[in-house]
Amino acid sequence: MDSKEILKLEYTALNIRRNILRLIRAGGSGHLGGALSSVEIVTALYFDLMNIDPGKPKWPKRDRFVLSAGHKCLVLYAALAERGFFDVSVLDTYGSLDSPVPGHPNMHKLPGVETNTGALGHGLSIAGGMALGLRMDKFQSRVFVVMGDGELAEGSNWEAASAASMHKLDNILVFVDRNQLQISGRTVDVMSYEPLSDRWRSFGWSVRIIDGHDFEAIIGNARQIPFEKGKPSVIIADTIKSKGLTFAERKVNYHYWKASQEEMEHAKRDLDAIEKSLKEKTNMIAGNV
Amino acid sequence: MFELKDPRKTFGEAVIEAAEKNPNVVVLSADSSSGSGLKDFPTLFPGRHFEFGIMEQGVIGYASGLATTGKIPVFAAIAPFVTARPFEMFRNDLGYMNQNVKVVGRCASLTYDQLGSTHHSIDDIAIIRTIPGVTVINPGDPVTIKKAVHAMINHMGPCYLKIGSPHMPVLYEEDVDFSLGKGIVIKEGHDVVLIGTGTVLSKTVVAARLLEESGISVRLIDIHTIKPLDRDLILSAARETGRIVTVEEHFITGGLGSAIAEICSQEYPVKIKMIGIGDHYASNGPYEELLRKYGLQPDQIKETVVKFLQDK
Repeated sequence: MDSKEILKLEYTALNIRRNILRLIRAGGSGHLGGALSSVEIVTALYFDLMNIDPGKPKWPKRDRFVLSAGHKCLVLYAALAERGFFDVSVLDTYGSLDSPVPGHPNMHKLPGVETNTGALGHGLSIAGGMALGLRMDKFQSRVFVVMGDGELAEGSNWEAASAASMHKLDNILVFVDRNQLQISGRTVDVMSYEPLSDRWRSFGWSVRIIDGHDFEAIIGNARQIPFEKGKPSVIIADTIKSKGLTFAERKVNYHYWKASQEEMEHAKRDLDAIEKSLKEKTNMIAGNV
Repeated sequence: MFELKDPRKTFGEAVIEAAEKNPNVVVLSADSSSGSGLKDFPTLFPGRHFEFGIMEQGVIGYASGLATTGKIPVFAAIAPFVTARPFEMFRNDLGYMNQNVKVVGRCASLTYDQLGSTHHSIDDIAIIRTIPGVTVINPGDPVTIKKAVHAMINHMGPCYLKIGSPHMPVLYEEDVDFSLGKGIVIKEGHDVVLIGTGTVLSKTVVAARLLEESGISVRLIDIHTIKPLDRDLILSAARETGRIVTVEEHFITGGLGSAIAEICSQEYPVKIKMIGIGDHYASNGPYEELLRKYGLQPDQIKETVVKFLQDK
């Protein structure tokens, strides 16, 4: 990827972070940390990797996105709006009665949402069924899944993982958003999943570990699926919880954020600073050309 | 005497017929197809049978995902393991997502008799009927099992079908009129309405005969679809007889009798006697003896009805 393409994605990621703040401003609170840690992954999916058409959200040959960790829905709504699935003003309904953007996603309320998730440990089985069905239809479509690392304690994930490798579903790519934190503390202290790579490998998956905020790493690796023919692929993406908001990064109490006016202003300044650095980068690239 | 047929074999034959007609029908197994009359399905329909091993929660999710691509997954296994165990998957991945998946609980109610309470399913109707949009079907003979299979495959939306295990009497002619959500009036009568469902429908049929022989006029109804319930049929029966007796191989809590009471108590209150299993785990033992233990044999049903009618 050239630096211009990456810069463009970084601007998109900034817009998505701003959309996340817009949602929280409307609703007053929301699951912040895990939404922000997976912004680059979701941006890469919706603006580079996935074969989708916002004008035809039910197109049968589309790639599928399953947000297994449904509480990260703010990043999904933010990305869908940015990608043009619906008007961005829909985000301002967050928290209001009958809003199409509830606290966990609902496929019947919003175009582009593929599954109703929220209860953890459901997404991978549903994704596996999609992958089986798409293969039966001889479509080239892939199924992309984002899971949280705390979510991996749910046993149902490992049922799903066994079946995906047993049925050789090499049209699935899972991103584990390893931001290392969950409500009660560090994930490895709450219920350790280590050794995580070995665990996935022992379930028959092909595993890679990347920096989950590095577009080149996300896209470069995701474009290579299946990593091994006949095996499902998983990327363990090391991320920073609440990435982008300096006061909240790596802090467990921003898993769910009730936004004060002061913090909201701080958040705005943080995103403005990101914009400034992206502008400097733009100028640098222009100067180099 | 009635001819007897194997409900699981009947079910499997119907699924195979449906799969011949509709290429979207696929079968999912949790090490459970061979026990569900579907042993031959994998060879008859290569690529349309998926084995998962013993992981019922995951199978419900896989079925949901398959349904998003237009397939019609049929997943049959021992009843408690497709209802109580994966309840949240049923509720979220099938009900909430409104997926066109057909879940089949076989060897249901007390028919896994001596295997005990882990293998009985006398709560499945209670819990699954709380899920909005799920059709709950409990046919009472082999003819209606077969018709129920075709009806649920043709119906768009999540379904739960419940069948037993031992050979069961054929109660209906092949041309009986069967539609989901419509009860069948087996016999008209005016003193009392007797409503049966599922595996004990045949006991209810015999009980009705015994009552007729002792001079009591019985309106006998088969409610094979618990949800949506045939409210018009039930309300007219309530109005015209004033007394309802329900018979089910299920907890009294939350079953057919409860569903009927939910309607009658609000729209046309009549006295209802619910014959079923009380608030305790059922015991283990030979099937017919278990039914006797819980008052579900025809002579016992008759006695209960007679006492109920004497009670002013």
